[in-house]
Amino acid sequence: MSRPTVTVISASGEASKDTLSIPNVFKSPIRPDIVQFVHTGMNKNRRQPYAVSEKAGHQTSAESWGTGRAVARIPRVSGGGTHRAGQAAFGNQCRSGRMFAPTKVWRKWHQKLNLNQKRFATASALAASSSAALLLARGHNIATVPEVPLVISSTAFADAAIAKTSAAIALLRTVGAGADLDKVKTSRKLRAGKGKLRGRRYTQRRGPLIVYNPEEDGTELVLAFRNVSGVETSSVYSLNLLQLAPGGHLGRFIIWTSSAFAALDKIYGSTTEASALKKDFLLPSAIMKNPDLNKIINSSEIQTVLRPVRGGAITKRTVVQKKNPLKNFQVQLRLNPYAAAFAKEKLGSKAIKSEKAKPTGEAFSTQLHEN
Amino acid sequence: MASNISADLIWEVTHNYSSSLVKRKQSGGVQFSRHPLNLRNQYTRKYEGAVADKAIGVQAGDNGGVTLLTKKDNKAHAPSSHIQSSTFGSGRSSRKTYSAIVNSTAKHGYRPDLRKDAVARASAIRKSQKPVKEDKPAKLRGAKARAAEAS
Repeated sequence: MSRPTVTVISASGEASKDTLSIPNVFKSPIRPDIVQFVHTGMNKNRRQPYAVSEKAGHQTSAESWGTGRAVARIPRVSGGGTHRAGQAAFGNQCRSGRMFAPTKVWRKWHQKLNLNQKRFATASALAASSSAALLLARGHNIATVPEVPLVISSTAFADAAIAKTSAAIALLRTVGAGADLDKVKTSRKLRAGKGKLRGRRYTQRRGPLIVYNPEEDGTELVLAFRNVSGVETSSVYSLNLLQLAPGGHLGRFIIWTSSAFAALDKIYGSTTEASALKKDFLLPSAIMKNPDLNKIINSSEIQTVLRPVRGGAITKRTVVQKKNPLKNFQVQLRLNPYAAAFAKEKLGSKAIKSEKAKPTGEAFSTQLHEN
Repeated sequence: MASNISADLIWEVTHNYSSSLVKRKQSGGVQFSRHPLNLRNQYTRKYEGAVADKAIGVQAGDNGGVTLLTKKDNKAHAPSSHIQSSTFGSGRSSRKTYSAIVNSTAKHGYRPDLRKDAVARASAIRKSQKPVKEDKPAKLRGAKARAAEAS
């Protein structure tokens, strides 16, 4: 089951002879709980503070009329000549009053996240991106992709070969990512709710994430992919969990350049070797080496130490319907083994052989009655 | 698939959310699946085709007949060649179609527990492809009705 290598796909979309060994980060444990937790925190830390104006609802010189005027003691706008005069002000229940507990920019927007947890989540999200099943479960359209993880040769990006969006789209289509692009394009919908008015007019799905190595692939490809909707680019040195697991859901479709893929071992190290670039970081090691339960249960190590099944083929069945032995022959046989011979000989339907007593003859009779 | 990802793990990750999962509030929150390799369209560990290593699917074929989809166990990392499909045309008898499905799946190293479901789905597809019989014209009941019809 272990697959130590991944094929490098050339710029023409065919599998080249080059292979790269799978970096250790792809063997890290997949923990949706940690990824979700870290994602929630990171998403919070990205927020921009908002608040209502400090002055809102207080830009009037209202004062309470006090008691004795048969009106509520709420502050009232002073003066006369307009309808506003005499109306209640300031209170959260008032028209044009301030809101209840006005929001403040110094709300607690941010959450402290442990660095090791963030790194764990990133490693986990990367590992999940190597499973086609998880990619499909996230909703990526990868039926035409030749291999997961998808690694494209860095020669395709060399000398700023991908500097134009048309070239970028053509490359994505040749490596089989076209279906995912189309999915993103057709998914663009008007957002439900007020977000439309707040700079978030449309919603759309996320397409592939392109991870490159800026030292070898250059950064021209960022501009080339910038206007392809749904496609994001990221340097392999600064991977972001918000891109690796959007919505906290594992399995982003990642397209790697071969140099970025090769750099992963240097960046993340292994479970025993410290990472070269991340201080004090070892990859998390799996608690369960083999997560395949069926394989474990059916392994000879387990099967040899199990006690044999009690009773075997004639185990007593507990809750079963009672069968009528007079109607069910098999049940009758179990109770009365002779029934087989009885039925075979058809003893039940055989006529009883009873020969009539032969007439005894005259001589016997006379002798009997002779006195 | 890397060595650290098994079908059991994938199920643990995806049993709450998945692109093929359809949750409905009716009938106590039923969970259906849109996956083509799901024989009963139920989102369960047994039937969900995205999870199982050797999943089987039966789909309606073009212009009649059924298409059998099987997942190739050793191609889990290669989505483009992951699923094998074979078509049984509309000309083939239903029984031969069923036995072909059984022979190439349950008797061929694929999940024998899905045999009944695969055949049942193929049968349902075949049945749906037949033209619907028109109802017989209602028989007239009673002498008066017959007399009214005749005149």
